[in-house]
Amino acid sequence: MNTYYKIILSAILFVTGIQAEAAGSGGQDTKGFFRSLEYEVNAGTNIGGATPMPLPSEIREINSYNPELNLQIGATVRKWFGNDTRWGAGVGVRFETKGMKTRATVKNYGMEIIDNGKTLKGRWTGKVQTRYHSQQLVVPLTGFCRLSRRVVLNAGPYLSYAFSNEFDGYVSDGYLREGDPTGEKISFSGDARASYDFGSELRKFQWGMQLGASVLVYKQLTVNANLEWGCNDIFNSSFKTVSFDLYPIYLNLGFGYVF
Amino acid sequence: MKFSELAVVLSGAVLAASCIREEPLNAECDIISVSLPGDVLNRQPLIENNKVTLIVKNDVSLLSLAPEFELTPGATIEPASGTARNFLFPQTYKVTSQDGAWTKEYTVIVERNNTINLNYSFENVREVSALGGMCTYDVFYEVGPSGKETMEWASANQAFALTFQASAPNTFPTYQGDDGVSGHCAVLVTRSTGSYGQRLGKPIASGNLFIGKFDMSDAINHPLEATHFGTPFNNVPSQFSGYYRYVPGETYCEPDASGNLVEVPGKTDMFSLYAVFFESVPGQEWLDGNNVLSEDNPYIISTAEIPDRRASSDWVEFSVPFILRPGKTIDPDKLKAGDYSIAVVMGSSQDGDRFCGAVGSTLKVDEVSITCASEIE
Repeated sequence: MNTYYKIILSAILFVTGIQAEAAGSGGQDTKGFFRSLEYEVNAGTNIGGATPMPLPSEIREINSYNPELNLQIGATVRKWFGNDTRWGAGVGVRFETKGMKTRATVKNYGMEIIDNGKTLKGRWTGKVQTRYHSQQLVVPLTGFCRLSRRVVLNAGPYLSYAFSNEFDGYVSDGYLREGDPTGEKISFSGDARASYDFGSELRKFQWGMQLGASVLVYKQLTVNANLEWGCNDIFNSSFKTVSFDLYPIYLNLGFGYVF
Repeated sequence: MKFSELAVVLSGAVLAASCIREEPLNAECDIISVSLPGDVLNRQPLIENNKVTLIVKNDVSLLSLAPEFELTPGATIEPASGTARNFLFPQTYKVTSQDGAWTKEYTVIVERNNTINLNYSFENVREVSALGGMCTYDVFYEVGPSGKETMEWASANQAFALTFQASAPNTFPTYQGDDGVSGHCAVLVTRSTGSYGQRLGKPIASGNLFIGKFDMSDAINHPLEATHFGTPFNNVPSQFSGYYRYVPGETYCEPDASGNLVEVPGKTDMFSLYAVFFESVPGQEWLDGNNVLSEDNPYIISTAEIPDRRASSDWVEFSVPFILRPGKTIDPDKLKAGDYSIAVVMGSSQDGDRFCGAVGSTLKVDEVSITCASEIE
């Protein structure tokens, strides 16, 4: 967590640094260029999850879902084109958490329990609790379209780098077939649970698409809503235990301050 | 406007993600239960993952029996349920799952109240691999005079594999040693089950070896009930003898409420080694960790226990009689009908069933035998 805040702090300093440089730069051309740039710092929360699309038939029921409190903080630099400044383009940087906690009932679901350098692989039928928590540096490259004085739409791809990745949980109230569905049956009931941790199998670099809108609500304050749709499976392609792809899909809701 | 559009996109995503699809067909191909027409079974069928053992009454012919199978819903079996076959030899059946993707072969063995070996020298083991071949453990078995396998010893080694602590056979709680009284011997060592076992509230595993079956499917939930002690026995046992040597582990511990081992100062570990002769009745065909030596178990007929067990780094010879429980007699008719069973049980920590003991406690056992009375009085 500490590193996380340090990075956020340096991001803010970085943005303020650009501001200062922009204000203090000498050449007329540069000054003009920077003057037509718009800066925004923003913060918000991510609600969503890493989900297979569509749900595979192994998942029989979603028993609970908790989006968790996922904070996001970032900054965007925009350049508006033409006199009407209807179209624009920009680049941003933001630090965000993507997380979720789910409890599902599954049937014949690929599972791998790893401990002490050894693996118990098999098919699980029963309850699975999953916690996903990823801290990422995201760089969105966005096009902007101003619908009115107050409303701006944005769309574009983003690249992200995860500097902290966790995907773990436990299985309970069910049974494992060791290896495949013909393997030895091992039941877990009551308090008996087996934990798993696939954190090291998560992908570091991801990309996706972002689509959103922001509304200027008061002087320089905007309300933003962005949908981030990951285009990669969150796991490395070599990881086969989870037999279906999980895509991070998050709605980001927050505020921005435009300079 | 834009928000409503966004809402449409988002709810579309949520909808797609929350749509539960049709349940997939069953992938499992298990024999769930077996029955034989008529009153021919002497014990409940023993169903393991790849093997079914049917123990029939002594007067039943094995030449033509037609077992009927209940399978995982939707699965099919070949030859079909109810097909008459010759069970003088083991027969194989193939079960195919409902989804057609998986098959499993079962060996079905029919035994009369067989005469098990009475002398055990622990010379025969087969290595069985677990965790997809990442570890291997020993399974002891006995062969009769004809060289045919007559009995397989049970242990909890298979469950220990799940603690991820073991690799080679001699890293398991129960394995074959080279330094027997004569040839090989059985070695039982109390092991730590590591972080995984601790999380399950089972911080140690006592080495154990017994006549009976270990029920793997119940091992995590009900470890005491997972040990099914006993096999049919139609003689009157009189004496239980053999050799042991025992070195207790240094620190006797017991688990606290959260499963962590806490040292109990001044306490020394002790092993268990005994034989029990009991009546098998419907609903209690075997004894388990809860009741194997219970004073109030009405079905126990006689027990052979070593009164002066002690630690010794040299072999200690023992020979103890089977002592009838008060008021118990052996009914010759029941004996003939195969209603009695015997269990030999050994463990490197006698309180290992409650996960108390000293890691490292080592029991070696060799040349065990059961002597039978020639006639019943």
